[in-house]
Amino acid sequence: MEIIFEKLEGKSLAYRMAMLVFAAFAVGGLISTWIVIEKGICVTGMTNRVPWGLQIVMAIYYIGLSAGSLVISGLYGVFGKQEYKPFARIAVWIAMLFLIAGMLSILTDQGRMDRVFVEPFVHFNLQSMFSINPILYSGHIFICVVYLWALFTERKRFTTIIATIAFGWAFCVHSGTGAIFGFGARVLYESPLLPVSFVTAAMASGTALMILLIVGLFKITKRYLDDRLILWLGQFLAVCILVVVYFLFIENAYRAYVVELRPAAMYYLFEGLHSILFWVGLILIGCVIPMFILFRKKTGQTIKWIVFASSLVVFGVICERYVIVLPGLTHPQEILTGMHITQSAIQEGVANYTISLAEIAQALGVFGVIGFLFLWGMKFFKLMPTEAVIYDQIGMIKRNEYQKRREAKSIKSSE
Amino acid sequence: MDRRDFMKMTGGTILAVSSGTYAFQFLVASGRSVSGDNIAAGTVRWGMVIDLNKCIEGCTACLDACRTENNVAFHGDNRWDVHWIRKVKAEQKIGTESKEKSILLLCNHCDKPPCAQVCPVQATYKRNDGIVIVDHHRCIGCRYCMIACPYNARYFNMKDSEHWQNEERPKRSHGVAEACTLCAHRLDTGRQPACVEACNNTGAGVLFVGNLNDSDSEVSQLIADRPTKRLREELGTEPKVHYIGL
Ligand code: SF4
Repeated sequence: MEIIFEKLEGKSLAYRMAMLVFAAFAVGGLISTWIVIEKGICVTGMTNRVPWGLQIVMAIYYIGLSAGSLVISGLYGVFGKQEYKPFARIAVWIAMLFLIAGMLSILTDQGRMDRVFVEPFVHFNLQSMFSINPILYSGHIFICVVYLWALFTERKRFTTIIATIAFGWAFCVHSGTGAIFGFGARVLYESPLLPVSFVTAAMASGTALMILLIVGLFKITKRYLDDRLILWLGQFLAVCILVVVYFLFIENAYRAYVVELRPAAMYYLFEGLHSILFWVGLILIGCVIPMFILFRKKTGQTIKWIVFASSLVVFGVICERYVIVLPGLTHPQEILTGMHITQSAIQEGVANYTISLAEIAQALGVFGVIGFLFLWGMKFFKLMPTEAVIYDQIGMIKRNEYQKRREAKSIKSSE
Repeated sequence: MDRRDFMKMTGGTILAVSSGTYAFQFLVASGRSVSGDNIAAGTVRWGMVIDLNKCIEGCTACLDACRTENNVAFHGDNRWDVHWIRKVKAEQKIGTESKEKSILLLCNHCDKPPCAQVCPVQATYKRNDGIVIVDHHRCIGCRYCMIACPYNARYFNMKDSEHWQNEERPKRSHGVAEACTLCAHRLDTGRQPACVEACNNTGAGVLFVGNLNDSDSEVSQLIADRPTKRLREELGTEPKVHYIGL
């Protein structure tokens, strides 16, 4: 069966309102970024002890979503699952946009944004993860463009090739991003496991977001969506979360077990705001509840519940990103072995960080830009399939029933 | 060979040659050493010795001199203040007794500086004389060096500085990272760093800066004769600030 892709009309009130809201966010972000450029980073919640904040959290979150949504497109592109072809284009489009979002977040976080476009490329430092990553990121965007082109022009063989490259590249992008932290000098950063757990969390969040997006888009535009497609994604999501939990457990168990790391582990797990985000945000809301929903027969086979679980995961992974970045910074470094600093001109012990309005505005701004571009793309490119059906007997029967119901409805409403 | 093949071949060759040259360029042409392994033996290698036993309680001469000399930003807010050198009080528990000490902390000008390793634009680099320095015309303000420095010795200009006491040195504007430069501009012209000079003027004589490669220099002599310690030596960063009485 031929799958037909089309553009969205983009004339509905909902579309226009959404565009407006996204544009407003983007403008807000622009204004706050301008203030940061003018005044300096002092307008944010970051300090000399906590030099990274919300923007970095969001950056790695977006990059995670990007890799995750690419996995969905890979179901068709790499693994040849025909039934997932309808989502392939949207998935690649969103993967590309989220990577741009990640880069925008990093860009707007720099002290000298004006230099970012030249210096990293002319004074490349092979030993810096921060230098290697931009190359991975721009490569990723480029690959996404080619991938999209292959999908648009329906080149089957080429699609498989580029999809496989994209798939592998996404892993590199992600491991690279994880390595920024994992290969770092801080006690709570340093972990060779971090890049790996980073990838799995990314897959979970990306899948969850794709579920939300697909169900939402099909519902709003009144298109037929075969439930079984989402059910399978739900199960996939559940497995991803399980792996995330496993990695989290190993990582923390290791830190709690090794004597010299134990104080840091205790700090990570039980002290301060981040520990609440860890237990409530990540473990409970982001992992336990969704897993319960997804693995349970009754709820795991219901679209509404799957959507609910996905939204929890999307939130949970933000918390995960937060607890990767911030506790590692607020936790004090041991500068003087065996001594305790009692008096200093700077904050020496546990540092504090509060998210500032400026950072929230910037983060929302990036989100606005991406949302705007996404909707704009839906209107100008043929991204949206007319329907998503598994072409077997059950699938066809169900679809025909759906069509009949809709026709009946439209006749009724026209009467 | 048909036209297609020819195009492919020329395209490929151009691509290979140009990318190769580019790669070669950034690997070789940069005279800066990220790891700092290119220091010729026998040349100057600046280092510092701090004799904490002689440090006067409550004295801030070196801190003030550093701030004035280098226009180091001060805003009266510990979130944003920059301290190229800072004096902390630290407590040490030995048995039931606890001892308190004043300790001067500054950039250690590590021989294997993690800050330089992570800098994505090679703005932080180690000079051939061992001083770790930031090119503030190149720094993009990513703050990765602050994350990497195990000594909290790096600071960020979060805000424009109003102070400009020493007009021969740049006024500090926001957006770039920095740390102690060991007053490289002074050492280059044969003078001692501002902190050393100020400390000597008080008569305390706590700070010594000299050539670690010269076994006759005062710093080398002190390191040879007295028990000295460096901060977190186990990290392998090879700090070049040596402490007596830590
Ligand atoms: S002390 Fe910190 S800032 Fe100074 S060279 Fe070492 S790592 Fe770099």
